[in-house]
Amino acid sequence: MLEVKNVTVRYKNSIGIKNASFIADKKEIVGFIGADGAGKSSLIHAIAGVIHFEGEIIYDGFSYHSPKEAEKIKQNIGLMPQGLGLVLYHNLTVKEHLDFFTSLRGLKNDTKLKEYKRKLLHMAGLLEFTDRLAGNLSGGMMQKLSLICTLLHRPKLLILDEPTTGVDPLSRLELWDILENIKHEEESTILMSTGYIQEASRCDKLLLFDNNSIIADGKVDELLTSAKDYTYEETKCSDECFSFNGYTYSLKPLNAKHKKPTLESLYFINTLKRAKSIPNIEISDRENIIDIPNIVMEAKGVTKKFGKFIANDHIDMVLKRGEILGLLGANGAGKTTFIKMLLGLLPLDEGELYLLGKQIKSGKDRQNLKNKIGYVSQHFALYEDMSVRENLIYFANLHKIPLRETQKKIDRLSTQLGFKNYLDSLAKELPLGIKQRFSVAVAILHEPVVLFLDEPTSGVDVVARAQFWKLLRLLKEKWQISILITTHYMSEAEFCDRVVLLKRGKKIVDDSVKNLSKLNPDAKNFEDIFLKYYRKF
Amino acid sequence: MKFSVIKAYFIKEYIELYRSKVIFILYIMPIMIMILFGYGIKLEVTHAKTIIIDNDNSIFSQKIIEKFLHSKYFNTKVLQISENEALKSIKRAKTDILIIIPSSFEKNILHNQKSEIGVFIDGSFPIRAITMESYVKGVLLDAAMKTATMFGKKMDGLITINQRALFNQAMRDENAIVPGLFGLILLVAPAILSALLIVKEKENGTIFNFYSSPVKKDEFIIGKLSTAFLLYSSAIFLLFLIATYIFSVPFRGSFIIFWFVSEIYVLISISIGLLISIITNRQIVALVVTVIITIIPGFLYSGMLMPISSMKSESYIEAHIFPVMYYNHIVYDTFLIGQGFSSFKNIEYLVILIFYALTILTISYTLLKKEMR
Ligand SMILES: Nc1ncnc2c1ncn2[C@@H]1O[C@H](COP(=O)(O)OP(=O)(O)OP(=O)(O)O)[C@@H](O)[C@H]1O
Ligand SMILES: [Mg+2]
Repeated sequence: MLEVKNVTVRYKNSIGIKNASFIADKKEIVGFIGADGAGKSSLIHAIAGVIHFEGEIIYDGFSYHSPKEAEKIKQNIGLMPQGLGLVLYHNLTVKEHLDFFTSLRGLKNDTKLKEYKRKLLHMAGLLEFTDRLAGNLSGGMMQKLSLICTLLHRPKLLILDEPTTGVDPLSRLELWDILENIKHEEESTILMSTGYIQEASRCDKLLLFDNNSIIADGKVDELLTSAKDYTYEETKCSDECFSFNGYTYSLKPLNAKHKKPTLESLYFINTLKRAKSIPNIEISDRENIIDIPNIVMEAKGVTKKFGKFIANDHIDMVLKRGEILGLLGANGAGKTTFIKMLLGLLPLDEGELYLLGKQIKSGKDRQNLKNKIGYVSQHFALYEDMSVRENLIYFANLHKIPLRETQKKIDRLSTQLGFKNYLDSLAKELPLGIKQRFSVAVAILHEPVVLFLDEPTSGVDVVARAQFWKLLRLLKEKWQISILITTHYMSEAEFCDRVVLLKRGKKIVDDSVKNLSKLNPDAKNFEDIFLKYYRKF
Repeated sequence: MKFSVIKAYFIKEYIELYRSKVIFILYIMPIMIMILFGYGIKLEVTHAKTIIIDNDNSIFSQKIIEKFLHSKYFNTKVLQISENEALKSIKRAKTDILIIIPSSFEKNILHNQKSEIGVFIDGSFPIRAITMESYVKGVLLDAAMKTATMFGKKMDGLITINQRALFNQAMRDENAIVPGLFGLILLVAPAILSALLIVKEKENGTIFNFYSSPVKKDEFIIGKLSTAFLLYSSAIFLLFLIATYIFSVPFRGSFIIFWFVSEIYVLISISIGLLISIITNRQIVALVVTVIITIIPGFLYSGMLMPISSMKSESYIEAHIFPVMYYNHIVYDTFLIGQGFSSFKNIEYLVILIFYALTILTISYTLLKKEMR
């Protein structure tokens, strides 16, 4: 049993988590949910004994007050920190990772362990890639490799910080099987933070974090009752309220029908309670009016090979003006590879590529296009040790935007995208949701015509994601921007005009969301559609 | 302490070093430093490009010029050009030395009158310039005296410079410089590697694997440090071979002593790196800090540039704070003298070095925390 009593984590000039207390039993999966920067990771680090904290934690009758005292129980702990491939060595292969962690944990490499490793590798879809360097894995594959390295010693206290961020729906289901399995076989206590609402509902118990403390705990239904009074059918409203995707949340009573809240509702309501309002995302008109061709990007038979491995196999794709195109597919399907080729970060092995009506054959053809394309990469790619403002100025400079104008732009974008308060924080100190909005701000500084977004919403909380999609819509409507976006949140696929599904480097579906729903009347949501196509082909 | 954990770290580090090709840089760097500096900081100057303008054209002046023509230290040309032209050629770095023999030079000497020979030297590299200047003086005076005797003249009193100290002694610069390079190279390179090995994990986030696992501090430290230690232990032999074969520095002492004290010294260096890695979080910072705090003392107090005994009070004390001086003393002894442990000072310095290593290791061990900061 795990007992956390009044735990507080302080940083130099801020607080991570205040007076957190909770109890978790054996064979229990406790979900940590809440906004970005609400203190989940701080508490996770304290429990795992990797950061100094105040208060007491008792695990299995053993009490500890500091990382040093926690040393004795570390053989029981498995920690997977937040972040893409954070615990991986990019120059080691998948197999070498498993060997390293086997030794690190002092495990005997007997047949039982070997069998278990096979199972883990299978779950992670890495069985055929054991000789690949971790640095060459796709983002989601890295995440899954980190996860299986953490599971290797079958920890009795498993602590996972957003383990499924960037992991595809199929693997998420398989991961849950493994978690359930460990929970029963090892009688483990599992703590996990997650941004996926379906996952949160599968937890035995939830802790709701907000404003650096735990504000509620209990089973899903118990938490939802508190949200009932604030949740309505989507309607017009003026203050202390927010509408998104068919729902309106309001602190003041509204003259509208109540709607059954979901876990997502909790995020909105808590944010409203804390901040009184959720800033409305706005965007001003394009400053430079330009002619945009009807077809912004066209790929014909685009192919990429890494050695014998074919990452993109003759892909045809079209992106029209003012269209949001969702690029979906399991981890390692080749989404990032495709986007990198569009950007010229990887050379094409075969096929033709047209951007804004011009065929791209060499780097020279891209010269004039630089100012028309915006890109947000899967791995955070801005300067961590510079402040947000400095980053923005730097990138504006790259696009040769005059300084006066830059100042104005920064002011406007940061207000409109709601990160004004963070302008002078270092990029590395930002909560993920803010980081992502700021990445987008950098990507649209120069008012591009087309945006390539590689998992911009992974690990971002519900509210920030809603805001983000509002922003994308606005960009599309007001600026006529075309957007190619990848995501593993199937609910987001529904916001796209059209989706393309990749599987093992091949395109298997290319259709509008409406059509797909019509073709699959029995599917409850887009996740079902995704899984169906993925299993069928 | 679990051997398997240490081994796991050790193997992992080597695979990473090998795949990232860093291992080659680590090996090439020390060799490059040794070869570059071994050849580069030669105090000896040979084949200095020299122009002589002979305005006298006498037997006396011919004799002097002959000396220059026959010396390996000078590449001499006797030209009939104007002084200005010759000076321009120095400015353009085409010429190192210009010597002007005045007219009626011979006459003056024979009449016991003073005569001035003009000497201009390219001063862009002061140390080189000073060396060249003394060579020129040496040759001039030597030649003048010999020629004067030939004419049955004595030049006592007119010549007061001690030519022998300047010139006659065949001093080999390699012997003075190369052993001193050990103290520099083996202080800088292992420290950089060991600092980077740990800070790299902090920067990438993989340090969490250490924080959250039952891996002990000593296992982690030994795993990491043994990587750097082994790599540079082999470098000791390589450097030794370069010194004795390529630079033909004599080795008169005991190899065991040299080897042992070098290992201790490498241990000190990687402990310094460890200490730096504890207080820094970024690779670039760690690199810069390490370079600054190892290269500067590694140079200044190596005894290469200036003997410690002739230092002024502060630098004399500073020299005793850094390990370079102790190590180099023993290294110079093993190479050039060979007293070994019959000299008490060598034993004393070895003990100091061992103490030094243990102290830094203990400090780092205490400061290393298995937690985020
Ligand atoms: N440099 C490389 N060398 C070898 N294989 C590579 C390299 N880069 C990518 N791959 C492989 O290409 C495949 C596709 O990778 P990609 O990053 O495009 O996947 P993805 O669809 O973006 O997945 P995710 O959803 O996990 O981000 C993966 O199997 C990956 O391991
Ligand atoms: Mg990707």
